[in-house]
Amino acid sequence: MATFLATYDFLLVSMVLAAVLALTLYLPLMAGQLSVASPGFYALGGYIAAILSTKVFHPGPGLYPIQLVLVEMVAAAVVSGILGLVVGLPALRLRGIFLALATIAFVQILGVVALNLQVTGGAIGIFGIPQPFSNQLSYMWVALPLLLLSMLFVARLERSRTGRALVALREDELAAAAMGVSPTYYKVLAFTTSAVLAGMVGAVSAHFINTWNSRQGTFDTSVNLMAFVLVGGSRTFVGPVVGGLVLTALPEALRGIADVGGLPGWLAQFLRDGRLIIFGVLIALGTVFFPQGLITPGLLRHLGRRRRVPHS
Amino acid sequence: MLNGLAIGSVYAIFALGYTLIFSVLRIINFTHGAIFTLGAYAAYALTGSPLGINGLLAGLTLPFRLPFVLALVGGSIVAAVCGVIVERLAFRPLRARGADPLLSLVSSLGVAVALVNITQYLFGAEPYSYPDPLASLPSAVNFGTAGQPVLVRTVQVVIFAVSMVMLALLTYLMNATRTGKALRAVAEDTTTSSLLGIDTDRLILLTFIISGFLGGVTGTLIGLSVGIAGPYFGIAFGLKGLAVIVLGGLGDIPGAVVGGLIIGLAEAFVPAQHIAYREAVPFALLFIVLLVRPQGLLGRAQVQKV
Amino acid sequence: MSRRLTLFVSLMAIVVLTGTVIGFAADPPIPIGVAVSQTGPVALAGQEQVLGAQIAEEYFNKHGGVNGRPIKLIFQDAGSDEPTAINAFQNLINVAKVVGIMGPSLSQQAFAADPFAVRAKVPVIGPSNTAKGIPQIGEFVSRVSSPVAIVAPNAVKAAMEQNKDLKRVAVLYAQNDAFNKSETETFQQAVKDLKLDLLTVQTFQTTDTDFTAQVTNVLNVKPDLVIISGLQVDGANLVKQLRDLGYKGLIVGGNGVNTAAIFPICKAKCDGILIAQAYSPAYKSKINDEFKAIYKDKQKKDPPQFSAQAFAGIQVFVEALTALDKKSPIAKMDLAALRVALNKQIISGTYDTPLGEISFTTGPGMGGEIVQKQAYVAQIKMDPDGTKGTFVFVK
Repeated sequence: MATFLATYDFLLVSMVLAAVLALTLYLPLMAGQLSVASPGFYALGGYIAAILSTKVFHPGPGLYPIQLVLVEMVAAAVVSGILGLVVGLPALRLRGIFLALATIAFVQILGVVALNLQVTGGAIGIFGIPQPFSNQLSYMWVALPLLLLSMLFVARLERSRTGRALVALREDELAAAAMGVSPTYYKVLAFTTSAVLAGMVGAVSAHFINTWNSRQGTFDTSVNLMAFVLVGGSRTFVGPVVGGLVLTALPEALRGIADVGGLPGWLAQFLRDGRLIIFGVLIALGTVFFPQGLITPGLLRHLGRRRRVPHS
Repeated sequence: MLNGLAIGSVYAIFALGYTLIFSVLRIINFTHGAIFTLGAYAAYALTGSPLGINGLLAGLTLPFRLPFVLALVGGSIVAAVCGVIVERLAFRPLRARGADPLLSLVSSLGVAVALVNITQYLFGAEPYSYPDPLASLPSAVNFGTAGQPVLVRTVQVVIFAVSMVMLALLTYLMNATRTGKALRAVAEDTTTSSLLGIDTDRLILLTFIISGFLGGVTGTLIGLSVGIAGPYFGIAFGLKGLAVIVLGGLGDIPGAVVGGLIIGLAEAFVPAQHIAYREAVPFALLFIVLLVRPQGLLGRAQVQKV
Repeated sequence: MSRRLTLFVSLMAIVVLTGTVIGFAADPPIPIGVAVSQTGPVALAGQEQVLGAQIAEEYFNKHGGVNGRPIKLIFQDAGSDEPTAINAFQNLINVAKVVGIMGPSLSQQAFAADPFAVRAKVPVIGPSNTAKGIPQIGEFVSRVSSPVAIVAPNAVKAAMEQNKDLKRVAVLYAQNDAFNKSETETFQQAVKDLKLDLLTVQTFQTTDTDFTAQVTNVLNVKPDLVIISGLQVDGANLVKQLRDLGYKGLIVGGNGVNTAAIFPICKAKCDGILIAQAYSPAYKSKINDEFKAIYKDKQKKDPPQFSAQAFAGIQVFVEALTALDKKSPIAKMDLAALRVALNKQIISGTYDTPLGEISFTTGPGMGGEIVQKQAYVAQIKMDPDGTKGTFVFVK
């Protein structure tokens, strides 16, 4: 067990953080908007944390105080929120593929800017980011509450008036608008909330991987997020969480399988080097065979019913 | 400015295949970048050149060597075939289900990732270079005077010429032939078209064949101009290609070329001291166009039917 | 010789041989981890490093391994992004239980993954991490990749010797790559120190294929010398396009283009490039000749820098293990103690590698920064048909 935790502590926390990021894609999706802007806010949050912790809060030796990490998360949340509003208000008038493309463009532009500013360290990025914990698993103290709180938030949102408004927008925007549901207000709300969450995850991640550069939070991240939501389930908030957890673990699980002795050489080699191939194929198959993702509201109801039976 | 046109024609020729699929199917086919790469590699192998050391096909050299133009065609046919396979596997089941076009987008992304990595697995990650068919020509063409030379690399002139030819052919196909009219009907409304007796499946297949072929041609030509940088060299084009087709108008064929040329020119006009931001230019343009005029320059305004 | 003597000698031979075989079989091979980029866009470098490492494994095991005990390289793909590198490191440290790790390929990955090795007290040797600050990550981080701060000015000086009137300089660099960003700072500083005119600094991306804009900007300032800090493909394309559009002056290439892999791309136009090298196939030494021979036998061309650095990295591990074993038998050490002792041994040793004679300097809180005795500047000479080329020593 100790070896398992020692080997996979990084992976476990990555899985949890990925699940939170998946929720940031899910939030606009509830309103029927495919926005892949989260990686941009994720990158922004990471830079804020990196710059603050290395250049502003000059840390002494020893562990970095956890309160400062929380301060950075708040700062990241605020800045992401403001930027989310600024970008979201004009952009969310777009629909469907157009919005998706606009958000792709947004992420690319942020990436180029990050590569060029002095304060972000250019290609090298910022390194030597101080650690608030002595081992990686302790990051769970931040990551897990973040995930649970986000899940709670989204679950309540789904059931609230706002949530119903978002679903109404997803089902038929024109009808909803005719009924008095202001599309812009709700869409911007979802978008900005998602931006805030992504920024916070970014802030934690910067400490988590010791370094931050323009290679974090790129179009590739968008691809991963889309996979999490679309394979995990796009109709209920449990789906993206499961998608994030499982698909983050998948490449490393494949690496583990490849290491198991006794596999024919070529298969082990393929599992090792072909992880990305398998990943891509799984994404494609997942969308073809499970269009609503693995976790659907139907499945949840079914499971809920089965669990309730013994009580009757 | 000529450089801008040259760069732009490269983007344009890439965007043609992209926009064709969008015009008929209303989906963005991310695998275009991967097929483009495959076509380039296939053409390379067909010129009888040796493969590198690290892929599964290490050291493979085909027992024959084709002259460049034939290899180009051959590689593009391979690309077209791949396009068809992709269509069968990734798009047809989704279409049969009437799935959201966004699902097709993600599915094509997955396939693109898989394809690119399969390419790397097979061919290895090294750069390759074609035996140069233009070696006998001077390496640059002078459009200016002897005193004020305005040089453009010969291969870029070739690419420009080819893209114009492709555009002409494609426009002719779409507007003047029966097949083209059928394609446009399918684009308008698939169900009605099939009710009218048009074999939509076959036409969609044709679309993918043409698009794949175009992708292969583009990949090989660009490979000629700058060498095959590695299995990922199509992906960067894939993203910029999005900017191109939106700018020109999604689904509009001449629009793809116009969009490509404009973006090429825009990139060329970035002042020297800000050249670091050049990469952001296509995306900034994309963003602005989406906000201001989402149908692009040449597209028709999308009227939302209630 | 009498029959009895022959019998005796044969018996002795059998005993000795059996003993050796049993000796080999008795001690399990020593695991050394290799975490480089085998997939993703960086795989180009990673593949060359894998090759260099594999050649080293064969070579050193053939030469007796570590005092008779063979080494075994355990490869875990570090991918092209930071989290994959971290996961690879974790796997090697905790599951494969290696004595040390060679990797990762990118400096950015090193900034992310090396701290994990430092926390676990496992020695890491970076074969290609050249950004500033790598050995400073921690006491367990060393590198055999020269930070080029030493070599770069030599290349510029060599250019000045070839063109005595050299004054006007243009610099281009790949801004999205940590190595090239560091390297260009060194080049630009060298240009200023040598009192030359730095007329323009152009940037590009390593993923770029078309450099017409940058080339035009460069040609407009009419430089005598163009300095390029890029990687193989982009660098070679840039050279080709510079020449295509009429540039006739000198070109100095940084370490990223120090590989025969650029020949297929710029072909005859590669001719004349002056390169600041951390490795030169032309360097004459026993081990470099042997390494080169094995590599050439497999690949039919001169070994590239990445392979040589990977070879050197494994060599450092093997020789340090051997030296350590002589001082106190490593078979008797527990893994944690072995890793710590190995790290100390690595930093204190001197090694005659294909890169030349290397050793390490260290300081408080840091690991081993490489000190490389040889610095190379070479000039590329292409055959007239443009297919084959060699790196000719200039100094």
